Amino acid sequence: MSDKETTHFGYKEVDKDAKAGLVGDVFHSVAARYDLMNDLMSGGIHRIWKRFTIELSGVRKNNAVLDIAGGTGDLAARFAELVGPQGRIVLADINDSMLQVGRDKLLDQGRLANIEFVQADAQHLPFPDDSFDCVTIAFGLRNVTDIDLALRSILRVLKPGGRLLVLEFSKPRSALLSKAYDAYSFRVLPLMGRLVANDSDSYQYLAESIRKHPDQDTLKEMMEDAGFCEVEYHDMTGGIVALHRGIKA
Amino acid sequence: MSGPVDPTLHTAALAALETAINRALALSPHSITGLAQLEDCVFALHCTSPAVKIYLHPGAQGIRLTGFHHGPVTTSIRGTAADFTELASAKDPAATLINGGLELEGDSAPLIELQHILAGLDMDWEAPLVDALGDVAGHQLAQVLRSAFAWGRQASASLTRQLEEFIHEEARLSPPRLEVEDFYRDVQELGVRVDRLESRTQRLRQRLQKLRD
Repeated sequence: MSDKETTHFGYKEVDKDAKAGLVGDVFHSVAARYDLMNDLMSGGIHRIWKRFTIELSGVRKNNAVLDIAGGTGDLAARFAELVGPQGRIVLADINDSMLQVGRDKLLDQGRLANIEFVQADAQHLPFPDDSFDCVTIAFGLRNVTDIDLALRSILRVLKPGGRLLVLEFSKPRSALLSKAYDAYSFRVLPLMGRLVANDSDSYQYLAESIRKHPDQDTLKEMMEDAGFCEVEYHDMTGGIVALHRGIKA
Repeated sequence: MSGPVDPTLHTAALAALETAINRALALSPHSITGLAQLEDCVFALHCTSPAVKIYLHPGAQGIRLTGFHHGPVTTSIRGTAADFTELASAKDPAATLINGGLELEGDSAPLIELQHILAGLDMDWEAPLVDALGDVAGHQLAQVLRSAFAWGRQASASLTRQLEEFIHEEARLSPPRLEVEDFYRDVQELGVRVDRLESRTQRLRQRLQKLRD
């Protein structure tokens, strides 16, 4: 029997040390067409989910915000407007390809003044304690090897009273929606990935990783166990996506 | 945990409304300048029927609409959709706030300022048309549109006036506003007199009772 710890990568069991590299390969592969694929896969609804995240974040002028797994910078761009020139936005991603695409996009939009780009692992955030008013992680937590470790790391960098918002795929509430969603995820998504991004495996992983991710109540408990208080969540689009929010006491 | 309406629908509706408002505002530079002066204000609009809560954040880029807000609110108003419509179209918003069905909390001055800005939206159609069609065609089309809108406003005002006259004077379907106000004033006065008479009767009864005792 192997004494190495394992974790899931989609439906596969892999060594814990190998997951970050495998996830990294997925995002290196999809980075260039990430925005286009998001729009196609969600029919543009991911913009609404992100907008709701921004509303619930309560971010305002002069705040410091960390956007983990910030990818192509959708949230960071909006936060940069809200915090104003005296605020601070840090767009962090473990994957340099995603960070490169995000940085190029934001530079092309002329958003420079208050955004920093940092390549960082959510489990070991390279920031001092009590640094941020708000931390967001949108569609990134399920790719993290050790979610508990990441949550504790986020709690450490948040200021007291600061908020964590986790936007992530979750479990649909209705059995009918769940069946339709499964058919879409396992048949349409990989096909779309092959046709548009020439990569069906990455989108197969996407569908599998969503199923392996904790459901709404489990993630809520995990956040509470990590030390967050007043944890609540909002189901969106019938529970396909959930937005969790917790406060650092 | 989630509310009765899926946040996706609520947020999508707000996003669509915000886009429409900001497109209109973008054609009215004067309004944008006015909104920039209200940048630090937050207005909470709580519609009781239908039940919707919207936070309105004016700024130099236009108006941002949100369904949630954490922090202080400059002005909070509560009422039905009809009350809000009345305020939005009122010539004298202060009077509407005092006499209408809206409940107001906080500072009313920024709200009245906002109402003036939105009610006085004066869209300049020429700039986008010139961008799309060129100087000559764009200018001519803008002139046509301006004339059409001016005619439309005049026609609408004239039709409203004639319709009012017909309803009040010709068909006598409804009494004119002044008559109604007179009637209500008389009713109110009668009510006050009845109250006075009742008090006097009460006093006389008490005196009579004392004399009997």
